[in-house]
Formats: sequence, C-alpha cells, structure tokens
Amino acid sequence: MAGGYNKFQRRNVGPVVRPYAVTGGRTTPRSGETLDFIDVVVSTGETIGVVNPAHDTPEHRKILRMCDRQTTVADVGSATQLPIGVVRILLGDLIEQGSVTLVRSRPAGSRPSTKVLQEILNGLRAL
Amino acid sequence: MAYAHSDTTGVASEDLLTPFKIVIGGGFGVGKTTLVSSISEVRPLSTEETLSTASIGVDSLAGVSGKRTTTVALDYGRLTLGNQVTLYLFGLPGQERFSFLWDQVAYGALGAVVMADVRRLDDCFASVNYFEKMGLTFAIALNCFDEAPMYDPEEVRAALDLDPDVPIVMCDARESRSVRDVLITLVETIYASQYRAESRWA
Repeated sequence: MAGGYNKFQRRNVGPVVRPYAVTGGRTTPRSGETLDFIDVVVSTGETIGVVNPAHDTPEHRKILRMCDRQTTVADVGSATQLPIGVVRILLGDLIEQGSVTLVRSRPAGSRPSTKVLQEILNGLRAL
Repeated sequence: MAYAHSDTTGVASEDLLTPFKIVIGGGFGVGKTTLVSSISEVRPLSTEETLSTASIGVDSLAGVSGKRTTTVALDYGRLTLGNQVTLYLFGLPGQERFSFLWDQVAYGALGAVVMADVRRLDDCFASVNYFEKMGLTFAIALNCFDEAPMYDPEEVRAALDLDPDVPIVMCDARESRSVRDVLITLVETIYASQYRAESRWA
C-alpha cells in the first residue's frame, strides 16, 4: 500500500498535498524531453542531491529506490501512485543529475523482428 | 529479481528489459478498463493533465481560476512474458475531450485493440480513424455483452468500413483467456505483416 492511510483517511480522498507541489510547481521537465510511458530507466549508483539539494526529496528517493533494477516510467508511476506527469518531472531531475540513466532499447516506433514477435506470441500462448 | 541470461531467445543482447506497448481504444463505457484489469498484474495509473482550452465550458473553473490541471485515470496493465519481454496495455481515455492524451499514450505502440459494442458501433469510429491515420495495426474486439445481439463479423466489417486484413474477434472482456486470445490475434497480424516485410528484404 502506497502512502500511510490510517483509519481516519479513506483511500479515495486523494492526496493531501496537491500533486505538483512535489515538483515545486514545475509541470514540464527541465530538459524539455518528455519521457515515454515505457521508457526504461535504471539507477547509476550516483547519490542524489549533490548537484541540486532541491532534488533530494522523499519522492525523489522513492523513485530512485525503484530504479535499483531496470523499470519503466509507467511502473514507477503505478508503484508510487504519483501522477505520471509528476513522475516524469522527478525522473527528469534524477536523469539530469546523473543518478538515473535512460535505457533506450530500440528506436521508438520501430517494429520488432519476427523473432521478437514470435517470443511475444509464445509468451501469450503460455499464459 | 535476477535476470537469467538466455541465448535462445535472441530478444536482447544484454539483460535488457524490452517493453512493448499495446493501446486499447473504444468508446466511453465499452469495457476497456475491464479488459485491461482482467489480464493485468498491476494497478492503474493516474495522470495529472493540463486542462486545455477545449475543456472550457465543460469543466467549470468558477472559483478555482488557479487550477490548471485535472486528474485523469489511465488504464494501465502489465504482462510479463518471459525474462525480458513485457507487454504494457494502455487504455485511451474514451471521452472525446481527452483525445489530446491519445498521442502521448499511443506513441511508439506495437499495435492496438479497438473495443466495440455492437449496439453502439459508432462510438468506436474515433479510435478506428485514429489508428488508421497513425498507420498502427489494430484488431477489433467485439465485447460480448450478455444482452447484446450477435452479428456476423463481416457485417461489422462492412459497417466500420474496415480493410479485409483487420481482424475482428469476439471477446468477453471479463475473461482473461478471451482477452489473451484478442492479443494473440493482434500480434499474429503484426507478425504476418512483418514476415512479409522481412521476406521482401531477404
């Protein structure tokens, strides 16, 4: 369960703090590059907050912990329950200061080979 | 979790996570959320979106002039297939006024599923047009609502003016096996066209 919900709070009341408060009011990543939902990210082992102490918030740390192994932007959003727009900005901070790196497995929009498609089919059939 | 190295799959040279995106389109209330949640391993995503001028008059901002964003829940599902390959399902918000999100969601997708309800076929025109224009391979999933009349898929094809190579599948969005079969049909269609493309190059 993400966040601490006690018996006085119902899960569906939403966050107490408005979502973009954790980004300091920013609604676009500083680099201007928008991460795709399924871009893969992984941590580099670099500590956070060295370059910019403002990028050392509990949310940044939470996201960084999730990047210990390869994960996608969408998975970070799902696990942290932060809106995807917020996740993209915070991940952008971490990428900018070198704590996280973006792993692009293939050019966006390019079609996978029949070999890969066959593996997807095998996986689906085995479900 | 440790990733075992596999030489036989040939998917990625290193232990690289390889995600693929499949988008689910269709009208409001056609069963996209049901479809995604019946097969997914994870919980939904929320997105906080900038209110566009299109929402003026729809979303009343009286007294909250500082509010520039709104929360849109996004259907999101994940299917881990083997060591590295993961399928991500994203539902396109059904309401026309959220269509500004579609480009973001559909960017770089492998393929799409359009959910249709035979009683309200016109609701899926917007998604069909969108994917056709984008050049994205898609399959039509006719959600078999209990009370809905049955139609011959060819009648649906004619009604939607679809190309002969667009597959039409009957589907019960509540059944994970049924949803899986839709995805298999879609990937088989993509495979067939990729196979043709590869043999042209060979």
